[in-house]
Amino acid sequence: MEKQIVILIAKQSFKKAFSNKGLLMLCFIFLATLTYITINSWRAFEKHHHAVEHHQEKSRQSWEDNPDKHPHRMAHFGSFAFRLQHPLSIFDSGIESYTGNSIFLEAHKQHTANFSEASLSTGLVRFGDLNIAMMLQLILPLIIFFIGYSSITFERENGTLKIIHIQGAKIKEILLGKSLGLFLVSSLFFIPALLSLWSLSFINNETANSAIVIRSLLITMSYLLFYIMLSCITVILSARSKNSNKALISLLGIWLLFFIIIPKTAQVVGNAMHPNLSKIEFKAAVEAEVTKKGDSHNPNDPYFNSVRDSILKANNVTDIKDLPFNYSGFLMSKGEKQSAIIYKNQYQKLIETYRKQNSITNGLVWLNPYLVIKNLSMSLSGTDFDTYVNFLSQTESYRYKQSQYMNDLQMKFISNNAKSSEGKIHVVNKAHWKSLPVFNYKYLPINKTLANQLFAIITLFIWVVLAFIIISKLSSRFKIIQ
Amino acid sequence: MYILLIKQFFRTKTVVLAFGILIVLGILSISTGKQFLNQKQIAIEKTIEQQQKHIETQTTLHKDDLGLLLYYLKFSFIKNINPLAGISIGQSDLNLHIQNVTILNLEGQKYDTDLVNPMRLHVGNLDLSFLIIFLFPLVIIALTFNILSEEEEKGTWKMVTIQGPSTFKFLLVKLSIRLIFIFLVLTLLFLLTKFVLGIPFSMNFLYIISISYLYLLFWFAVCFFVILLRKSSNINALVLLTSWLILVVFLPVLVNNYITNAYPIEDTFAMTIKQRDEYHKKWDTDKKETLEKFYKHYPQFTKYGIKDKGFSWLWYYAMQQMGDDESKLEREAMYLKINKRETLSKAISQFFPPLQVQLSMNEIANTSLSDQVAFLNATTKFHEAIRLQFYPKIFDNLSATAVNWEGYKPEYFKSQNRFSLFKNTIYMVLIILFLTGIAILKNKKYFS
Repeated sequence: MEKQIVILIAKQSFKKAFSNKGLLMLCFIFLATLTYITINSWRAFEKHHHAVEHHQEKSRQSWEDNPDKHPHRMAHFGSFAFRLQHPLSIFDSGIESYTGNSIFLEAHKQHTANFSEASLSTGLVRFGDLNIAMMLQLILPLIIFFIGYSSITFERENGTLKIIHIQGAKIKEILLGKSLGLFLVSSLFFIPALLSLWSLSFINNETANSAIVIRSLLITMSYLLFYIMLSCITVILSARSKNSNKALISLLGIWLLFFIIIPKTAQVVGNAMHPNLSKIEFKAAVEAEVTKKGDSHNPNDPYFNSVRDSILKANNVTDIKDLPFNYSGFLMSKGEKQSAIIYKNQYQKLIETYRKQNSITNGLVWLNPYLVIKNLSMSLSGTDFDTYVNFLSQTESYRYKQSQYMNDLQMKFISNNAKSSEGKIHVVNKAHWKSLPVFNYKYLPINKTLANQLFAIITLFIWVVLAFIIISKLSSRFKIIQ
Repeated sequence: MYILLIKQFFRTKTVVLAFGILIVLGILSISTGKQFLNQKQIAIEKTIEQQQKHIETQTTLHKDDLGLLLYYLKFSFIKNINPLAGISIGQSDLNLHIQNVTILNLEGQKYDTDLVNPMRLHVGNLDLSFLIIFLFPLVIIALTFNILSEEEEKGTWKMVTIQGPSTFKFLLVKLSIRLIFIFLVLTLLFLLTKFVLGIPFSMNFLYIISISYLYLLFWFAVCFFVILLRKSSNINALVLLTSWLILVVFLPVLVNNYITNAYPIEDTFAMTIKQRDEYHKKWDTDKKETLEKFYKHYPQFTKYGIKDKGFSWLWYYAMQQMGDDESKLEREAMYLKINKRETLSKAISQFFPPLQVQLSMNEIANTSLSDQVAFLNATTKFHEAIRLQFYPKIFDNLSATAVNWEGYKPEYFKSQNRFSLFKNTIYMVLIILFLTGIAILKNKKYFS
């Protein structure tokens, strides 16, 4: 195989593509849209980011402004975690619109993350999100199909294919050359998009824990592989089709099936196969288990009575009033620990069910390269399911720490004579509010993301290799004249 | 001629394939709708069951202290699911249709979300409305884009011109065959939907059906228009697909993005912080002040006087009330923006049939954003009513046995529906007439 011939054919097909004024026009519209999207999403991101930081500070400020109080009052004063988006969400917003933005963290009560963008939007939000990745994943493949569908059929219909062959180009070289040419044409579309990705990553380079450069590198690599594969597939289909019409129809069919119908159907089937508990069932399940273990709010609960007796014994006293620490603080810390474990178990089950629901889609990456790039792009942009689950578990562990911090304060500083948390008698110095660390959300580390997406990355490589294998297989039994 | 043309129509593989896909996905979409309705229904039944059990256990646990009991006691308010929601799930999968609220500060409770896989929400629902809005147009395009150009390319059109009395009539017959069969498929799906989802024949169902047919007519008009531009099959396919891509994929996304950015709702953060702070601050401020504010809101309770020594439930519930009362401004700002989003969406959508159809269907099926807002507002009223029933009883220090708990069953929200078919379809009808009119006028000389 001669490299020069491949390059020559690639060059020729690249030039030919641009003899068509329509393509220039299309390229121009694409770039204009891309610019609009980048600027717009960038602005929206900055605004949102600012709002989150501002309100996070405001919420913390009023936490710290609390006067001397009973610690249990502070445990219920609670704090808010507002979700910070990963800077790369400008590139690919993933499931961002559907994930809650604000979660209230207080003692012995797990709240849901509320106010997702979609819950405040009209039905139009369900058509999808506008971002750079959508242009790259949905629109650009269609453009590649439109440009490349006749790459081989046209030469055959015109009789130029046999001339090229007679002049010494092997079929394999022609197919590879055409694929390369198509890839070069598509690069005019995706390079600007990747440029905007890189400019985003340089501007946000400072963001802590974002691993933004590595992520951008991996995103770039994934999309390059994706388009190489897509260019090859387009040329292969064109080569296998009887005429241009059929090539176009089959490519459009593929787009519809692989890019729209399969992803949607897979998720729907996944949900049908593994239905998850509704909120009311979930809560009932948690509550049932908590009461089975013992209800710390019930003064006659047998479990907590036995706890009391053993504590009295261990401290060699007969009345809880004589204990060296605040007994109700101790009780609540026990209760918190227990209910947190129960909640965590139930919650883990729920997440497992979600994962099962997603497993159909994730399993189909073998068959559908679109799903590969979609999952990869989303995870690397920090806007995928795992990142969100990770955010939620960070909030829950902060909630737990905060509650136990308050319970510890109560055990240490509140007298056993305290009957209620009202008033200024049984209080703790407000300096303690400040010493509770701030909630500090850390993005999912890149190695976790990679571990989650390893399968997808391997699949992408396999797809590219497969495309090359098909090209060389195809060229051995290719009919130049049909 | 009709029968021959029908035979010819069914000879192509595309037709069989297209109808096959529609039927298979149609069945899938109907079962999606069914599953959705079932899940919502199960949740409602569980709620009714839970509420009874919940009241029983709590009333025995805290029977001496009504104030404490009401701290724990939850009351359910349920939004019944319209069976039409199985056709157009809309926003109802991400919003909770059951509220479980205590008489404490409401603003901290009512925005809780349901447990739904965010991946599922992101991918969207495969309901009948999706099928109608997304896929039917593609089938229409696939079956009609070459009905004229193909004949011209194969040279058979000349034969038609020579033989037939009117070529225009011939074209219309070909087109009408496609129209009839596609309409038949949709009718079949609607019939299936009616029986599977148990939808009664009502005006609302009729509205959804008429909008759907009208929407398909819109796409036939677009195809008719493009066909009569008399370009080659390839160009027709490209033009029609691009129009589909712009109208159904790109434009809605762009419009939504524009609306979201035009009215960013950050007020949610401010509101949620405020309702927390305003309640909790009252633990440290003058009790008299809190109670005076409370009496200003509810003059009828003034007789309970000012209790500023120690803890009292009167003071406690007054504090809780302040969380709601004093976050009113932020709340109103939030609702105002939601309202603006809704209004702008509607204003833009009326000119673009796919958007219009989606919003209309959601509105008819009570699955729209404004319906959810109405439910939230009704929740506030429901909550207020329960509060007013219990406040005096708590302040009088009654015991739990003094209340007839049998009367506390879940209550239901009734969706209001003021859908106007005329208002919501007028532009679509005009666009259809415009497209067909232009196409006929331009080709008058060929078809006389």
